[in-house]
Amino acid sequence: MNHYHTIFKAFLLCFITRGLGQTPFTDVTEAAGIKHEFHVFEGTFGGGATVFDLNNDGFEDLFITSGTSPDALYLNNGDGTFKNIYETSGLKITAGYVTQGVVSADVNKDGFRDLFVTTLNTTGGTQVIPRAKNLLFLNNGDMTFREATTEFQLDDFNSFSTGPSFGDVNADGYPDIYVGNYFQNFQGKLGVIKDATIVSANQTAKGYLLINKKGASFEDEYQEYGLTHRGFGFGALFTDYDNDGDQDLLVNHDFGYKAVPNFLYENLYPNKWFKDVSKETGMNLTINAMGSAVGDYDNNGLLDYYVTNIKFNLFMINQGLHKPFIDRSKELGTYNLAISWGANFADFDQDGDLDLYVSNGDLNPNCVPMANFYFENENGKFTEKGRLMGVNDYGIGRGSVVFDMDNDGDLDLLVVNQKPVKEYPVPSTTRLFRNDLAKGNWLKVALQGNEADKNGIGSRVEIVTGGIHMIREIDGGGSSHLSQNSTIAHFGLGNALTVDSLIVTWVGGKKQLLFDQKVNQLLLIKEIKGAHKNSWLIFLFSGFAMLVITAYLFSRTKKAKNR
Amino acid sequence: MKRLGPCICFSLCASLLMLTVGCTPKEGAKYSQEDVAIEWAKMALHITQFTPSNSPTYASRAFGYISLTMYEALVHGYPEYVSMQGQLNGLERLPKPDPDAAYDWTLSLNAAESSMLKNIYVQTSDENKIRIDSLEASIYAQFSLKLDKEIATRSIDYGRSVAEAIFEWSKTDGGHRAYLKNFDKKMVHPERPGSWKPPLFAQSFSHYPLHPHWGSNRTFLKVDAEIPDPDYLPYDTVPGSAYYEEFMKVYRKDSILTQEEKEAAIWWGDDPDVTFTPPGHSFYIATLALEKMRPPMIKCAEVYAKTGMAVADAFIECWKWKYHFFTERPNTFIPKYIDEEWESFWPDPPFPAFPSGHAIQAAAAATVLESTLGKNFKFTDTAHEGRKRDEVRETDFVIRSFDSFWAAAQETADSRFYGGIHTPLDNRVGLEEGAKIANNVIALHWKKMP
Repeated sequence: MNHYHTIFKAFLLCFITRGLGQTPFTDVTEAAGIKHEFHVFEGTFGGGATVFDLNNDGFEDLFITSGTSPDALYLNNGDGTFKNIYETSGLKITAGYVTQGVVSADVNKDGFRDLFVTTLNTTGGTQVIPRAKNLLFLNNGDMTFREATTEFQLDDFNSFSTGPSFGDVNADGYPDIYVGNYFQNFQGKLGVIKDATIVSANQTAKGYLLINKKGASFEDEYQEYGLTHRGFGFGALFTDYDNDGDQDLLVNHDFGYKAVPNFLYENLYPNKWFKDVSKETGMNLTINAMGSAVGDYDNNGLLDYYVTNIKFNLFMINQGLHKPFIDRSKELGTYNLAISWGANFADFDQDGDLDLYVSNGDLNPNCVPMANFYFENENGKFTEKGRLMGVNDYGIGRGSVVFDMDNDGDLDLLVVNQKPVKEYPVPSTTRLFRNDLAKGNWLKVALQGNEADKNGIGSRVEIVTGGIHMIREIDGGGSSHLSQNSTIAHFGLGNALTVDSLIVTWVGGKKQLLFDQKVNQLLLIKEIKGAHKNSWLIFLFSGFAMLVITAYLFSRTKKAKNR
Repeated sequence: MKRLGPCICFSLCASLLMLTVGCTPKEGAKYSQEDVAIEWAKMALHITQFTPSNSPTYASRAFGYISLTMYEALVHGYPEYVSMQGQLNGLERLPKPDPDAAYDWTLSLNAAESSMLKNIYVQTSDENKIRIDSLEASIYAQFSLKLDKEIATRSIDYGRSVAEAIFEWSKTDGGHRAYLKNFDKKMVHPERPGSWKPPLFAQSFSHYPLHPHWGSNRTFLKVDAEIPDPDYLPYDTVPGSAYYEEFMKVYRKDSILTQEEKEAAIWWGDDPDVTFTPPGHSFYIATLALEKMRPPMIKCAEVYAKTGMAVADAFIECWKWKYHFFTERPNTFIPKYIDEEWESFWPDPPFPAFPSGHAIQAAAAATVLESTLGKNFKFTDTAHEGRKRDEVRETDFVIRSFDSFWAAAQETADSRFYGGIHTPLDNRVGLEEGAKIANNVIALHWKKMP
């Protein structure tokens, strides 16, 4: 009775929501030409999306994994619509694999974003043990890609991989990769398979820490960096939790209460070592960690983490160095029952603080609809407004990403939904929500690395305006679930008319500073060659010609989009 | 005795002589005869624990065949005992020893156990198989030392032939290589109010229930499959109703769990991923008792065979009922109707609730052990001694002492209530049905009438 009651309720809510008509977010999926659903191999797993500008035309495009069905590469036409160019993109090889997560970075520093796609298995195969290599594609620069898995020495990694993420652990400017693996890995092809091999296949797995060797190959240096954990991995997030200029690692594990918990590793750069600080920081969460979002929700200069889970998510508050994180989900108002996967901190309403989007979905084939959450940050406390905002999608949500699809300055949302295995009372297809809510001023910052990663992955941007200090890390993926948000940092500024100061901390610790920047523009900041760590004061900006700022000034702070 | 020739009589007398003097190992000898039975039981426990993807269902079945093999490899050496041939469900023919030839029954058991373990756990690691071989070699070395080579070979061949015959029979019971089909992803299960839902606080990554067809496996005893279905309660969400109150009891208990109850909850968890599974715990208790009492080898084999088969049939019947009733766990009902935030102390296993598998198999084992070894056996269970503290639940693994086998079975059942994964009704019915199954096993014709 109750099951049907839930479904009926969900249907009713969905109907009411849709029926209400105008909401601050508009579901533009169909209008934008997005037609996607993720087909599961196993219900829990997949999928995700990456936001990247594949042809450097200033409009961000999307690659969305589809599991057992062909993936999608959506080229942003710049007019609010997308075109799926997967067929002609050279990426069709992925159709032979059960794809999961995807991230993008300029692996070989040629100026074009490349793709890394994780997989569980091959499609249509008869493999007794589902495993496959992950796939690397280099961007040819002409809207096509070529597979470079073998060239980059990644073809022997026979794994059941979930969440990938790019980061730059050694700050050499070449993006490295962490891959979360769920079940035991194999090296090379599987030969004759005995029962013993089959029964051992569902054991926990090590992740991969693939170090980029000057844009020519990858090498797994998991152990060399001191990583030893084996778990039911859902990927990891490269993030500088201790504000020391290098990328630490937050690892998410399913079944943390049974196998191994989450891990937080402090990067001891320039030493080649990750120190396990999970226990002392209280980040050794024993939950079903599916994903995590990073953001300084209270603008106190310390990065906080929202970790998704089955039933109740955790909002881990950073209390400063040498103090443990504390879960404040309940008191902050983000303690709502669901099965959550993706999570995104973003200042959707551009009022100067980070709101939070959470993508929910049942385990599929268990198919009880559950709405996604939109937590609005109201002076440091959150209120769930998914329905009011028009983003309480009831599909079987997994990865979610934020990006500015129409370059109007505010952040839009894409949620990857699974096709339900069983009967389902509401639609469950990938949704694109256009933000028609934001009223405040904004600033977007794109980084262009030189010695650092080409898109600033691993670096951070901070601004100070009206006495408020905000931090954004450039997302290499792993923030959310199996996905990667835009690498363009976005700040909501409320009524502020200028940005007093802007600090870029390039991965490794080098800093650049800008003053008095106009609002409502996209700044492109190029890395100054040879700048040194901690010498940022000498780069006081006003007089420096070598710092190139390309500003796309948008006259509209808010265009009328409901036309 | 009439059927045995003078040679076998002589050999039996020799064996019995060995048996009486063999209660403790001779000087320089490593194993007594009963040690051999016990060592193989311990090996079975080790293999059960360290073979991946094991399950309580598959483990129970394996213990059934391993222990029956032990008994059948010996039984013809002990005139007062009776073979199970013809008494079990479809076990019509087993190899017979040559009535005119001499056998060493210890070597027969040794070879039989080695063969059965490697067959029934063919999926175990090569390292484990080497371990099995080296136990066999070590026992062989001792017991063949002063033995005529021909007798040794004959005994080994006989033991193996018994094991192979039982293994062949096992292949048709529905559970052969069942570790390859732990979950049936195509099976459609009932969806109704009160039906089982995949756990959210789960022991297993699978959202499909374990071995849904296990209940249709062949039982060792035909009569076990004919036990009438127990009664369950009508679904009711109204506070005060019998159904609601069952879950309310779980909810209330969880809020007042003592440290000792938490210790019981984790002790009996016996997660198949890290331990020898719940049926292994029963086999372990049998071993503990036999080590202390040290009855003759044939008695050890009898105790193991009864325990193993009772526990195996208990699992088949339990699984039949689990999928027949397909009932929800407290983790499904309580958050929905009592407290949204509630979560059990111990995570849910991936199968329906009623009746409790822990309870039914513990009762089956305890009933057998009390009938064969007495009702007042006091013992200390050290199965998980030295295990690392359970940090998640802030509870240590504390050894447990009991005044009887039944007291341990009762705590096994209660521990699932403390863990919040079974209602008192699940446990009560589990205990009752387990005892019935054991009594059927006990009632088989084990010994010749005087």
